[in-house]
Amino acid sequence: MKRKKKKLTTLFILLGILVVVLLVFFFGGRREKIRHQAGPSVSASGGGQVQEVKMKRVTLFFMSESDSLLHPEEREIRAGTLNEEARAVVEELIKGSRSGLLSTLPETTRLRQVFVTSDGTAYVDLSRQIMEASYYGSSGEMAAVYSIVNSLTYNFKSVKRVSLLVEGNERETLGGHIDLSRPFSPDYSLVAR
Amino acid sequence: MPRADRAIIIVFLSVVFLSCLILFPAQAQKKTQLVPVIRVEVQDINTGARIKISSGSTLNYSLRKSGNILTVSFRSLSGLRYDRRPFTSRLIQSIDLAKSPEAYLLLIKAGNADFSYTQSARWDPFELTVEIRAGEARKAVAETRPAPPEKPAETQAQPQPQTTVTTEQSGLQAPGGKKQVRTIVIDPGHGGNEVGAKGVYGTLEKDVTLAVSRKLKEAIERGLKYRVVMTREADLSVPLGKRSAIANNNKADLFISIHVNGSRRVKATGSETFFLSLNASDEESRRLAYFENNSAELENRVPEKDFDDLKLILWDMAQSAYLKQSSQLADFVQQELNELLNTRNRGVKQAPFKVLTGAACPAILVEVAFITNPEEEKQLQSEDFQARVAEAIYRGLNRFLQLYEKP
Repeated sequence: MKRKKKKLTTLFILLGILVVVLLVFFFGGRREKIRHQAGPSVSASGGGQVQEVKMKRVTLFFMSESDSLLHPEEREIRAGTLNEEARAVVEELIKGSRSGLLSTLPETTRLRQVFVTSDGTAYVDLSRQIMEASYYGSSGEMAAVYSIVNSLTYNFKSVKRVSLLVEGNERETLGGHIDLSRPFSPDYSLVAR
Repeated sequence: MPRADRAIIIVFLSVVFLSCLILFPAQAQKKTQLVPVIRVEVQDINTGARIKISSGSTLNYSLRKSGNILTVSFRSLSGLRYDRRPFTSRLIQSIDLAKSPEAYLLLIKAGNADFSYTQSARWDPFELTVEIRAGEARKAVAETRPAPPEKPAETQAQPQPQTTVTTEQSGLQAPGGKKQVRTIVIDPGHGGNEVGAKGVYGTLEKDVTLAVSRKLKEAIERGLKYRVVMTREADLSVPLGKRSAIANNNKADLFISIHVNGSRRVKATGSETFFLSLNASDEESRRLAYFENNSAELENRVPEKDFDDLKLILWDMAQSAYLKQSSQLADFVQQELNELLNTRNRGVKQAPFKVLTGAACPAILVEVAFITNPEEEKQLQSEDFQARVAEAIYRGLNRFLQLYEKP
C-alpha cells in the first residue's frame, strides 16, 4: 500500500515536470521571430550515378589589393532554380577569391537563407559574423554590402534589389554606417573598369 | 489512500501553478517591453489646445499638417501601441493611430484647417508636447518641406534680441531669415560599446572621432558666429536615429558626422567626404521624383490619406530635400581637407549612410584617413593632426554658410 502511494507520488511529480517542460517548449519557442522554411534542398545526386550536372558561369565581386574598388572574378556554379543559384553565388563570395583578391565577407559567416520574391527583391539572411565586416570601417561595410548586392543583381536579371538580414532579423546597419533598412539597388560605380 | 491522493494532487497543481507563474509574467513583460506604448493627453488652453504625447521609450518622430489633420509619424520597428484615453476639447475632434508601411501615424484631427502648431520634446522619458493655436494657419502650411524642425525646448541666450516666430521654418534660404544664430550639429561617430574601426596599435575610431569633434567645436566657437550642439559629449552609445533627431530638434542648419575610415586593405589611405545616396526602391524614387516636381498639384489631387503616406516616405528620407546643398558642403570640406592635411584625396562620394537619412538640413559624413593603416593611425593619434582636421572642416563649413549669408 505504502509503496503504491510512493509510486503514485513519483508518477505525478514526473507528470508535473513534463508539463513544465512542455510549457517551456511551446511558449519558449514563440520568441523566435521568423520561422524559416527549410531552404531549397540541394538535390543530392545519387552516389555512384554519373549525372550530367549543368553548370552556370557567374561573376563575383571581390576587393582588390591595388585600389578600394570591387573587381570581378568568374567561376562556375551548379545550375538550378533561381534561389539555389543565388544561394550558391553568396556562398562562393563567403569562400573568398581564388585569384588573390581580398574577401569582403568574414570567412566564418554562414548563409542562412536566400529568397527571391516575385517583385525582384532578394532577401539574403546571414549569420551574425557578417557584422565583423564593420571592424574594417565604413569602407569595409560598403565592400561587404555591395559585393553581395552587385554580385546578385549582375548575375540574375530578375534580381532588382537586395535586402540584407542578420540572423533572420532586420538590422539598422552592420556597424553604424550603411543603412540596411531599405533594399539596395546595385551600385556599379564601386566596380573597377 | 484519499489523503495521499489529495497530497499528490496538491503537489501536482502547485507545480503547474508555479510553472505558469514563472512563465507567463515573463511573456507578458517581454511583450510590453518590446512594443512601445504611447499615451496622449489633451488639454484646452486659452488660444487652442495642448497635446502631450509620452512614451516609455524614445521615439523618432516627425510632424506634418495637412488640412485639418496634424500627423505625428513615429518610426518604430518593434510596433507601437496607443493607450487610448477619452478627452474633451473644443479644437481637437479625434486622435487615432494608423499604420503605414513605413511608420505609425498618430492622426490628430481638428475641427478646421485654420490652426498652427509648435512643439517641444524631451527625451528620457520621451515626451512630445504639441501646442495647437487656432487661426494662424498660413505660415505653417506654406512650406512643402518634409518636416518642420522642432522648436527647441528652451531658446538659447542669444547675442541680439530677436523675434522668434515659432511656426517659421529654419533653413538657409528662408527669405528675410529672422533666425540669426546658425546651429551646427557635430556628430562624433560611434561611442560606448560601439567602438567602430580599430587600428593595429589599438586606436579606436570612437575616441578619435570624439577628439576631432571637440576640436571642431572649439574652432567653431572661437569664430563666435555659430551655435554648436554635439550628439554626444562623452564616450556614449547614441542610436543613429537619435543623432539626426538631435539635429532636427535643435533646428540645425548643418549636420556634420565625423568618422575615421578603415579597410581590410592595410594599404588603403586618404580622406573622403560623403553625402547621402538615396537607397530608395525604384517605386519610391519614382514617387519622390514625381512628388518633388508636382507637389502643389499633388496636394490638390491625391486623397489626404494617401498624401500623408507620400509625405512620410519623404520624411523618412528627410535628407533627400537637401542633397544638392549637402553635395556642395561636401565639396568645400573635401577641398579644405586636401589643402590642410597631407592625406590622399579620395574625393566626394555618395553612400546610404543611416545617420544622414533623417537629417532635415545639409548633412555630410567625413571619413578622415584610415585607422587600419599604421602610418595614418599614428597621425590620427596626434593632437596636431586632429586640430588640422577640425580646422579644415571648419573652413569648409564656413565657406558654405557664407554663401547663404544675407547681403
